Amino acid sequence: MRRALKWIGIAVLSLVVVGFFLFLYYIPPFTSMPPEEFVKPELDAAPTLDGISDPRERLLAERGKYLALTHDCSGCHTAGDNGPDYDKYLAGGMKHVVRGYGTSVSRNLTPDTETGLGNHTDEEILAVLRSGVMRDGRLMHSRVMPWTAWSNWTEEDRRAIVAYLRHLKPVRQQIPDFTSLGAPQDSAAVEAIWGADYSVKK
Amino acid sequence: MGRSFLFMLVIFVLAIFAISGLMSRALSAAGESQQGGSLEIGRDVYHVRCAPCHGHEGKGDGPYAMTLNPRPRDFTLGMYEYRSTESGSLPTDEDLKRAITKGLPGTAMPAWGKFLQGDTLEAVVAHLKTFSSRFGSEQPLPVPVGREVPSSPASIEAGRVVYEKLQCASCHGTDGRGTGATATDFQNASGLPIQMRDLTEPWTFRGGSSARDVYLRFRTGLDGTPMPSYVGAVSDREMWQLAVYIVSLGRKPAWEMNEQELIAFYRSQERLVSNDPAKWGKYLVEGMGCADCHTPLDGKGGNIESLRLAGGTRFTAGPYGEFVTPNLTSDTATGLGGWSDEEIRNALTKGVRRDGTRMLPFPMPWTALARLKTEEQNAIIAYLRTVPPIHNEIPRPKPLSFFPYLWGKFKMLVLKEDFPAEIFPGNAGTLKGGQQ
Repeated sequence: MRRALKWIGIAVLSLVVVGFFLFLYYIPPFTSMPPEEFVKPELDAAPTLDGISDPRERLLAERGKYLALTHDCSGCHTAGDNGPDYDKYLAGGMKHVVRGYGTSVSRNLTPDTETGLGNHTDEEILAVLRSGVMRDGRLMHSRVMPWTAWSNWTEEDRRAIVAYLRHLKPVRQQIPDFTSLGAPQDSAAVEAIWGADYSVKK
Repeated sequence: MGRSFLFMLVIFVLAIFAISGLMSRALSAAGESQQGGSLEIGRDVYHVRCAPCHGHEGKGDGPYAMTLNPRPRDFTLGMYEYRSTESGSLPTDEDLKRAITKGLPGTAMPAWGKFLQGDTLEAVVAHLKTFSSRFGSEQPLPVPVGREVPSSPASIEAGRVVYEKLQCASCHGTDGRGTGATATDFQNASGLPIQMRDLTEPWTFRGGSSARDVYLRFRTGLDGTPMPSYVGAVSDREMWQLAVYIVSLGRKPAWEMNEQELIAFYRSQERLVSNDPAKWGKYLVEGMGCADCHTPLDGKGGNIESLRLAGGTRFTAGPYGEFVTPNLTSDTATGLGGWSDEEIRNALTKGVRRDGTRMLPFPMPWTALARLKTEEQNAIIAYLRTVPPIHNEIPRPKPLSFFPYLWGKFKMLVLKEDFPAEIFPGNAGTLKGGQQ
């Protein structure tokens, strides 16, 4: 009797294990999801701009929204533990590791004044999009934030993006600064592009 | 349910091995600066702030150079466009400082004024001048700036006459926007394509948009471009009148327009998309950075320019296996030349390959491209058809075999490890020799 129970136990256990791995194998069945389902959630999550009372501001922001949606800002700037968390739309938090270089976390683009772009001037945001220069003077790595592409937009399109970013829902989410990997040669190398500011050096 | 797993791809691991090459140079430079000396400071600053685009040797070939339009200046030629000196002459230090501190509008060159001042700025200028031997042997010859002609209906009209007399319209068009221009393809002294300036958009005037700034362009010419100095061809007064006329052509930028003007502006932009799709497609492709991934990496942080859009960058994406970016050139056998418009559109907007297999929603951002208006999708397709063919056959995607796939999934879904996506330098396609 106990022997039979033992074997039944083993059989059930191995079924569970095999079942678990089969589950892993077949999930995610992304090919069974129609492409539209990957496209739609963000369209629903993006803010509607109908509430903007100034019609010219609304038109600019609409253009910016179109650019932001088609250039996949959200692909990096909306993070989440289990898929993009659209409650924190464009609030950053996604980790990017560049080997031999360090880890950066995508920035909070919402107008939150403490953790987002709320107290960044238009010019400061434009300098990032046009030249990859952050407001503290550091240069962004274009493989992480592809500013070299955004640099090719017309100034009118860049300003439209800025107009749109101003109308996102503010989300308080503190983003850690770029961290180097820590090995001595690497941290110094990181300094060369991310951390160095020679403007005060004599 | 499946969606949640897919979006676990949020962790993006980019491996650029050879950026370290770039780093080590900056480091050695930083080490030497301990001894002091302004040239060393200038070199340090240059390596950090300028070299990513202009290159360590000042050749305008830094790792970010390929993607930028227009390209960064090649300092080794000692030839500068925006000066206050005679045609063919060197720029003054003030000219260089102006470009550095104020930036060049309409390009990626930022205004460094907030970060580079005083001795540091002087040191950078001194370092820039070491790239060309011309600075050792020649002196800049500043131009005398004649008496300014104030703007008035009469001077604007006189300027319009000069515009006709000098046949400005053959390049800039009758309206200053290129309409009816007979010459459209231009190169600079480095053989790189350049665009003629749209004279109705003063906020893109590199050297500034005041009448005096514009006058200086006629007086000094833009060295290294087809834009000559008009000294001798017309009088100083006529150049001032022309400047006043050009300034009068300036239109309002979109961010200053009122509602009606904005509606009309975006409508005219839509017409542009359908009238010249390939041109608009170029704007979209350059502005989306397609070439960043669809051009192999050179191992120094940049792309291999001779293989632009020829694909061949190898990615690994965790348990999903290995992908190589496809060849987007118009080559019939290996590129998009043999694809129908619908096939390209399916790949762009649905992530469906020509053989019917599906792409991950990452790193190819087809989920975002799907939101493009149909006309803009057509524009991208039209532009890709014009990209010169490069024969570079791309291997098919390689899914992992059963057990590594399970193990990868286990690590990702159960152990919650970061999604390991990596990107590798070099061309994984069949074309050899492009690899450096």
